[in-house]
Amino acid sequence: MPTKTNNIPIFEKLVDNEKFFREKIGIGTSFDLGVRKVHVLNREVHIYYCNGLCDTQYLMELLKQIVRINDNERQTERAKQIIENRLVHQQVSPVTNLDEAVDKLLSGLIVILIEGESTGFVVDVRSYPGRQPEEPDTEKVVRGARDGYVENIIVNTALTRRRIRDERLRFEILQVGERSKTDVCIAYIKDVADPGLVELVKQELQQMSVDGLTMGDKTIEEFLVKQGYNPYPLVRYTERPDVAATHLLEGHVLIMVDTSPSVIITPTTFFHHVQHAEEYRQSPAVGTFVRWVRFLGILTSLFLLPLWVLFVLEPSLLPDSWAFIGPNKHTNIPVFIQVLLADFGIEFLRMAAIHTPTPLSTAMGLIAAVLIGEIAIEVGLFVPEVILYVSVSAIGSFATPSYELSIANKISRLILVILVEMFKVPGLVIGTTVYLLWLAHIRSLNTPYLWPFIPFNPAAFMQIIVRRSVAGAKVRPSIVHPQNQRKQPS
Amino acid sequence: MAENQEQLEQNKKERPMSLLLKTVITGFVGGVFWSLIGYLAYFFHFSEISPNMILIPWVAGDWKYGKLGNYIAILLIGLLSILVALIYYAALRRIKGMWAGILYGVAWWLLVFYVLNPLFPNLETVSHLQRNTIITTLCLYILYGVFIGYSISFETEEMNRQTQSTSTPSTSSNK
Repeated sequence: MPTKTNNIPIFEKLVDNEKFFREKIGIGTSFDLGVRKVHVLNREVHIYYCNGLCDTQYLMELLKQIVRINDNERQTERAKQIIENRLVHQQVSPVTNLDEAVDKLLSGLIVILIEGESTGFVVDVRSYPGRQPEEPDTEKVVRGARDGYVENIIVNTALTRRRIRDERLRFEILQVGERSKTDVCIAYIKDVADPGLVELVKQELQQMSVDGLTMGDKTIEEFLVKQGYNPYPLVRYTERPDVAATHLLEGHVLIMVDTSPSVIITPTTFFHHVQHAEEYRQSPAVGTFVRWVRFLGILTSLFLLPLWVLFVLEPSLLPDSWAFIGPNKHTNIPVFIQVLLADFGIEFLRMAAIHTPTPLSTAMGLIAAVLIGEIAIEVGLFVPEVILYVSVSAIGSFATPSYELSIANKISRLILVILVEMFKVPGLVIGTTVYLLWLAHIRSLNTPYLWPFIPFNPAAFMQIIVRRSVAGAKVRPSIVHPQNQRKQPS
Repeated sequence: MAENQEQLEQNKKERPMSLLLKTVITGFVGGVFWSLIGYLAYFFHFSEISPNMILIPWVAGDWKYGKLGNYIAILLIGLLSILVALIYYAALRRIKGMWAGILYGVAWWLLVFYVLNPLFPNLETVSHLQRNTIITTLCLYILYGVFIGYSISFETEEMNRQTQSTSTPSTSSNK
């Protein structure tokens, strides 16, 4: 961005302008850029456009109006004012330098230049290719809004604004990426969000130096939270406008990136990843129940497998009444290897399912579940219990609402299993302790990751354990440092 | 009727907790939670020591060996932990980060297992304990120390932050 100090003003001679456009952005070379030349009041007028990004209907309407000027107007010396007046569109703005004009042109606006004038006009006739809002696949609910964010930032801000009509809601836009010039929007509610956090996010975004944000918000995240090789997700993504709006009202700062259907919620803790919109669409009791079951699933996905492997290795640890646990049959392969094989098998399946077309994935599921599972036992490769425990912890992973968290947990689980195999009880105990301490020490945008568990905050922890009724939940979570602690003004 | 209650719930005042009250609750919850985990560890023979260790020296009756004894002991540890939290509050709350908490946990482990050892007749000296027991209890004490210590330090930090930002309220609201 600092390299763009050489602002070239618009030339009065259209030929010079055209030469500039030919050399700079390759009109005539690139087929998607073009220029339409018309004569208005004995002057030449050039209309530059980018053909996939603007709406032809609007463009034709504008052209009609401009050409009609010749029939109705005679004052040739006032051509510029007349043309401006005839641009029948609400978003018309003057432009005086060519670099700005190029930026606008490449984002889909049209640039209108008039012979003999050093001021042109840009008209926003953008129409980006995109899809309609639809329910996001990763965050479905039984009841509730079915709209979801799309790849267009304008639609996304509109979906949010529709939920919060507050005059203090702010959408600050800036462009990131030296080459891509992607629009990035910071959304927050001015008298609620922590101004320090807004400032921090803005600074980080402005300091980003990158060619392009082709992977959208993920690229932003890596610059923002500097996660390194930590597998745990340090920001929460959502594709649901209602979830985003809820977080805005709680005082979070949202980052929306054009071309990405998910928005980033900051700051985030571990416990943001274990909640789901569904809980808030059911009654508080049901929501709480669902949440507890979900916690159980997450704990299962982490600890069930290491514990079971430990009990297989050291059956003496089991209380007498639990002695049935552990393989009854003779095993050909060490249980540890079986567990790893089965777990990787499920991982193969998961990865394959992502990019397998739906008709094939049914067949794939059948092969995986019936054939491999059954036959692996019959052949003597697996003990049936291995399949049971690996499956249960895999289902626990699928019950984790955040996809990112479920994979991070999977990695942790594998590490714990390996530690158990190597060191038995000390492996599990020390491994878990270090794991918890490590999670507790992570800070994402100055927010302790395990808050409100470690460090403990009684009121906030109750909010995690029990899904409070909306009428009863009166205080915004303190971790976002809201300027306004209470939710309902009283 | 139901509507009235709804109203009441909405109008209920939620006072922000004082740091001292938070300390007390943190201590209690920390004690109960980690001794529950300790009981679980005992159940799975990770450690030979169960929470009822603190009841055995002075309670008569056989119930102290059963489940009931353990649950009562867990509650008792919760209450004692309030004291532990208050000591941290008094002495160490200004230290930032969680290292203080880790060391605090280790210190309590050393205190209980070496210094206070004679108080507990069925707690063997450390050299006679199983390796698993030592590791499990030490880890639990570390987590317990971090839970209490880091929470109190963090809340203190937050409290300081808030007093700093509320001392200049006019500038922030006029922006």
